Amino acid sequence: MTVTTAEPRPTAAAAPTGETARLISSRLRSYAAAILLPLTLIILWQLAGKDGSLAGGALPTPDRVWAAWKIWAFGTPTGLSLSPYVGTWAESVLFSAQRVAKGFALAILVGVPLGILIGWSKLAQAMVDPTIQWLRPVPITAWLPISIAIFGIADFGAVFLITIGAFYPIVINTTQGARDVEKNWIRAAQMMGAGKLDILRRIVLPAALPSIFTGLRIGLGIGWTAVIVSEMVAVKSGLGYVLWDAYYVGRMDIVIADMVSIGLVGFLSDWLIVRLEMWVLKWRRLQSFNS
Amino acid sequence: MGTITFNAVSKTYGGAGGVRALDNVDFQIGEGEFVALLGPSGCGKSTLLNLLAGFEPLSEGVLTFDGRTISKPGPDRGVVFQEAALLPWLSVWENVVFGPKVQGTPRAVYEAKAREILTIVGLEKFHEALPVQLSGGMRQRVGIARVLVMEPRALLMDEPFGALDAQTRLSMQQLLLEVWQRLKTTVLFVTHDIDEAILLADRVCVMTARPGRITRDIPITLPRPRSLDDLTTADFTRFKAMIMAEMRAGAH
Repeated sequence: MTVTTAEPRPTAAAAPTGETARLISSRLRSYAAAILLPLTLIILWQLAGKDGSLAGGALPTPDRVWAAWKIWAFGTPTGLSLSPYVGTWAESVLFSAQRVAKGFALAILVGVPLGILIGWSKLAQAMVDPTIQWLRPVPITAWLPISIAIFGIADFGAVFLITIGAFYPIVINTTQGARDVEKNWIRAAQMMGAGKLDILRRIVLPAALPSIFTGLRIGLGIGWTAVIVSEMVAVKSGLGYVLWDAYYVGRMDIVIADMVSIGLVGFLSDWLIVRLEMWVLKWRRLQSFNS
Repeated sequence: MGTITFNAVSKTYGGAGGVRALDNVDFQIGEGEFVALLGPSGCGKSTLLNLLAGFEPLSEGVLTFDGRTISKPGPDRGVVFQEAALLPWLSVWENVVFGPKVQGTPRAVYEAKAREILTIVGLEKFHEALPVQLSGGMRQRVGIARVLVMEPRALLMDEPFGALDAQTRLSMQQLLLEVWQRLKTTVLFVTHDIDEAILLADRVCVMTARPGRITRDIPITLPRPRSLDDLTTADFTRFKAMIMAEMRAGAH
């Protein structure tokens, strides 16, 4: 027995209303605007190339880069192939990404509590802040020899550099956020019987979160710089290692594909933080929406 | 015997040679009394409240609450701030139960009470709302509810309705009259609004600035329970005329 529907489905409800249609078209317009500049550059670059490259072979054209990337990403290595750039892309991305994740997590674990403490306690500020400000101008590249001397050519050397790089913006922004907490929020909490630890955990930390997220975004960016630098010198895997190695063997197509890949995963990880921020700081989003 | 006693209290900001915000204030508030502190801005009335709340230390004199010297803020003195000062990342419900929670009160004890108080202040449908989603008047209702839920021995209100529009202010005054009628808590209410002071208080203490002093202490003998209708009675106007004359004299 078959069931037949007596009435046709109302189509009006399924069709987008004028409002949603407008929203979708404005979205599409902004995507189109975002893609316009890179697209133009890529086309110009392609057209400027002769025999598949620019600048006397130093800069392969986009179609060559694309072809090289496809093999790097999806190629299956044959038994005789000596090229390391066949089907190893995902592996390289993962090596770098997990180092960034570890170093970044470590930087958060140290930077956020320390920043809260420095912002909250004058004593902690007097004791710790000068040291941080004095070590901060030392660039992560200057830490490379020490990192290699201590950890050798190993994973943790890279993680160590990422932690140092991401630590400063996180601790400094957290400090700023913890220092600028509205006085009346703290007074209100004290009035309601909150102790010192309650105030740190329930007032200062949430109040500092907008600043902390600013620090996280900057820190993550530096983390990606750090991972590439350390992989170029101190580790034998990951996008940074491939970048340098490909340069040595003259594979500029891989170098460029690698650079694009770094940009892409960096962009993606930042997007994740922004999504997290939007979710955690819903109250703040509404606030700026209201005013 | 007053529960709140200011004995020759002075407050100077910025060390010796600084600004003298309060000068030698002697002042008592009795158990269950509603006292309004009236004066122009900058006369030190908020300073007086902050000392009582324990937010700031006094420079000279003795300040006691229930016979004990005040050293820090605490839930026995519930403060209602001018701009409510709610925690913006917490919902209305979480703001209201913040006090009981940090004091370690079991949920079973505070839950019913918080629910009841939110209903009294007319926010039973807004438990999950965030402060930014509320109007100024509703936010201040939360500010009052989070204090009432702690059952404080005294309420310290620092121009709580000063930032609200005239209409909302009237409905908040009505609400406060109703709540106070039920609870009869000791209240110190800081305001610069003469009508508000007379309508709400048992005593209106007039303050003058530079140096901050209480110059007159006027008992408001209007019968209780009061309502917004009292604002237009002849007796009310008489008190108002008296206080206005007093404030003009102080402003010379």
